[in-house]
Amino acid sequence: MADLLFTELLKLKRSSMFLISILGAAVAPFVVVIATFIYEPSTPFGDLFYNVNLYTVLIIGVPLYGVVTTYLFNREYTENTLKNLLTIPVSRLSFIISKALMLFMWIMMLSIIAWGLTLFLGLLTQFDGLNSSLLLDSLKQFSTGGILLFILSSPIILVTLVMKNYVPTIIFTVVITLINVMAGNSEHRGLFPWAAAGDISNHTLPPTYPPEYSYIIIAATALIGFITMIVYFKKADIH
Amino acid sequence: MDHLNITVNQGEIYGFLGRNGAGKTTTIRMLLGLIKPTSGQIEIFGENLFKNQKGILRRIGSMVEVPGFYENLTARENLLINAKIIGVHKKNAIEEALEIVDLHHETKKLVGKYSLGMKQRLGIARALLHYPELLILDEPTNGLDPIGIKEMRNLIQSLAKERNITIFVSSHILSEIEQLADHLGIIHEGKLLEETAFESLRKRNRKYLEFQVSNDNKAAMLLESHFGISDYEVHDEGNIRVYSHLGNQGKLNKVFVENDIEVLKIKVSEDNLEDYFTKLVGGGSIG
Repeated sequence: MADLLFTELLKLKRSSMFLISILGAAVAPFVVVIATFIYEPSTPFGDLFYNVNLYTVLIIGVPLYGVVTTYLFNREYTENTLKNLLTIPVSRLSFIISKALMLFMWIMMLSIIAWGLTLFLGLLTQFDGLNSSLLLDSLKQFSTGGILLFILSSPIILVTLVMKNYVPTIIFTVVITLINVMAGNSEHRGLFPWAAAGDISNHTLPPTYPPEYSYIIIAATALIGFITMIVYFKKADIH
Repeated sequence: MDHLNITVNQGEIYGFLGRNGAGKTTTIRMLLGLIKPTSGQIEIFGENLFKNQKGILRRIGSMVEVPGFYENLTARENLLINAKIIGVHKKNAIEEALEIVDLHHETKKLVGKYSLGMKQRLGIARALLHYPELLILDEPTNGLDPIGIKEMRNLIQSLAKERNITIFVSSHILSEIEQLADHLGIIHEGKLLEETAFESLRKRNRKYLEFQVSNDNKAAMLLESHFGISDYEVHDEGNIRVYSHLGNQGKLNKVFVENDIEVLKIKVSEDNLEDYFTKLVGGGSIG
């Protein structure tokens, strides 16, 4: 598995997608911190972290990580490399797991970049209220958001594997984002896994339903996506 | 695919010939475990592929159609990916594979900037990385220019001769297979129609003049003394097949008659390998 992970990292060498994803992750911190600095400069530092995490998990994260997911999985089809790997041979399960691990590392890196950039820009624009406890809590929140979005990436991977194209994945993630936005003020948003992920990471789950409901819905979505994805990929013919 | 039984002798080049859509690539993809048959089993090296896919595939190197690479990486980096996954521990295995295909000088060029011919050669290097016993190549000359085709042919032949690698190569181009292979398998609509050594096929399908004469011994002597012909065969019932001097049947006939040999029949065989192939697969052009 370590070798497979090494090869996944090597495949990203000189890849423009790496830089593009970092730029994508930098959007929320820039927009939130700069807009707050212009319109509400007295906002406490903690609100910066909260808002950036909110926008990252609910708005930017799903399509951005969706594109990263598609790039990681779909490139083996578009660059015609999958048939080579599978005839070496690589176990299809190991292949999927190594890709998923790579995706996890990538998503976590982008989450940490978003957090780090918020901290840097917040310090640069001299917002008040920063302390070590806030630093730690906000880092936990960003990490939780990243982990939950990674867990919820299994249906997105499935769409990529089945459709072998960027377009369906982008449409799928845009639909998820739209529902996130529409459910923003709904007391039932805890039932939609991606919206619930945002609330869980920011500790803002509405009290309408017990939090276990949200956890179960997220786990079920991820598990169904994961199992379907594995079964499909193990059985799929490679042309 | 319907009950394919392909026999590839060790160290030889086996040409797998068929028209487009005959089932060549499907066969290869099934042999490599990329697609699963709807029913039945696949045996390679006498072993069931589905029971020991990993073990069997480790003995095989392959290149299916146009090989794919990570275009943002160099040739070495691409091969390193394979070497890491297969577990090739020999230090200079990558260098050695690149040298075989003459790409060892391209140290910094990214594969995205390679020509198709270079990619095909790199595909062979990748297939050779783990020192396979059997190399399966699917249409390796497809899309190459004439020089590229010649280079690829020379490379494949040298792999078989110098490194004693058994090679299974598919193509829809008869002339290509004819120049390359020792053994030929013809596939059509998923069925193996013929499997034969190229030499015997060539012999069987040579153009010739056939005379049926009253005295075949005397006719043979006249062929040698008058025309210096040695490339002929005497068959039953006074039939003589002459493999040279094609088009000179009139002169030969005249000499036979002048020497009191009765000529009962003259037949000009028109078949060549291409005609033979066309007849075998039921007409139409090759691919």
